[in-house]
Amino acid sequence: MRIVLDRPRCEGHGLCEEAAPQLMHLDDEGELVLDREQVDGGDAALAQAAARVCPVAALRVE
Amino acid sequence: MSTPALKRVVVVGNGIAGLTAAHTLREAGFDGELTVVGDEPHPAYSRPALSKALLLDGDDLTSHTLPPASHGASELLGVRATGLDPDRRRVTLDDGTALPYDGVVLATGSRARRLSELPDEVTLRGLDDALALRRRLAKRPSVLVVGGGPLGMEIASGCLAAGCPVTLVSQGPPLAVQLGLHLAQIFTAAAREHGLTVVQGGPARIEGRPGDARVTLDDGTVLRAEVLLTAVGDLPNTEWLTGTGLVVNGAVPVDARGLARPGVAAVGDLAAFPTPQGPRRIPLWSSAIDQAKAAARALVHGDDAPPLAFQPYFWTEQFGRTLKAVGQLPAAGEPVYADGEPGGGPALMTWRQEDGSTTAVALDHRIPVPRLRRLTRAPA
Repeated sequence: MRIVLDRPRCEGHGLCEEAAPQLMHLDDEGELVLDREQVDGGDAALAQAAARVCPVAALRVE
Repeated sequence: MSTPALKRVVVVGNGIAGLTAAHTLREAGFDGELTVVGDEPHPAYSRPALSKALLLDGDDLTSHTLPPASHGASELLGVRATGLDPDRRRVTLDDGTALPYDGVVLATGSRARRLSELPDEVTLRGLDDALALRRRLAKRPSVLVVGGGPLGMEIASGCLAAGCPVTLVSQGPPLAVQLGLHLAQIFTAAAREHGLTVVQGGPARIEGRPGDARVTLDDGTVLRAEVLLTAVGDLPNTEWLTGTGLVVNGAVPVDARGLARPGVAAVGDLAAFPTPQGPRRIPLWSSAIDQAKAAARALVHGDDAPPLAFQPYFWTEQFGRTLKAVGQLPAAGEPVYADGEPGGGPALMTWRQEDGSTTAVALDHRIPVPRLRRLTRAPA
């Protein structure tokens, strides 16, 4: 599965990073960086958990 | 490992609190029968988006969507819980069903407080409210917003952006109670620059007949508009818990792990959890998520689960400006500038609060929120 970031929507709230710090982080400017885009198994579940706490619908896992 | 006694869990409420609780139960190892009850027909969505992007985004109606649930629960949507029997351990629903449980999560949230029963008075709390308001705004009606808190101001901002003339009625300066005077003045100035008419007065009343409602202030001022919207706080949905002994002062008090009793968790807008200021309801997005995670783990692991470690995180977007805040609000007095300077422009600010805690605020300032959190731990 793949994590897809809708960058214009991202507002840098960082809840996704709290949910899945292994997969993504905010850089010094508060821009989200996906450290991994292809995810499987437990990581896919983690990516879903990150997408689910985003209040601005900026993340999808597909 | 699930506690052996935990075979059936019912989550009552399908907002972000209920949704997060359901997923966290699974992550914590609960593999029994899970049922989620939601009174709205919609899947869970982002409530913060309703008064922000959803009012603005052209034809894009997806800014509130959340990924599909993967908790594998039986989802009963469009169904309302009408009662809870904590002794027999059953939730009753408005379709006559009774759901037995070993563990239950109370997550029925809250609803908009209203000033009248008149149908003219509209509120923005759920997705249907937001979609209905969007449709009305397309005709650029005059709008009267009663309520100078963050929600009222966000809605006023959205209505102005839609091309409507907007008047906002506020008790005292808008946002002052919620954010503190310093930040309130910055946002109110932006609001006026965007064309908002602000009327400050005492408590507003709504009077009249269906189809002919008006807002009346203490000083006799009468205001009318084509759209009359109130944003004057929320009331927890606890009526279905009447007689259970779980409701105190209109909310459900819980311990540091989100439990009201063994096997009974309460999370989100209806729960009052321990804070340094005493038991508080904190009806915010990240609060609901953190509460739900802690309580779901406590249902599965009991006292081995870590207690809630919550630090408030709040954000708003209105009149072209954005604010992110970590720590207690309102922020009283003047800030210390970590970046930027006085004058109301983009800045990174901290306040040392009376209780010794620090509040960090980013105003039109892009910053990783973990860094904002770290600022609250540094001396202000």
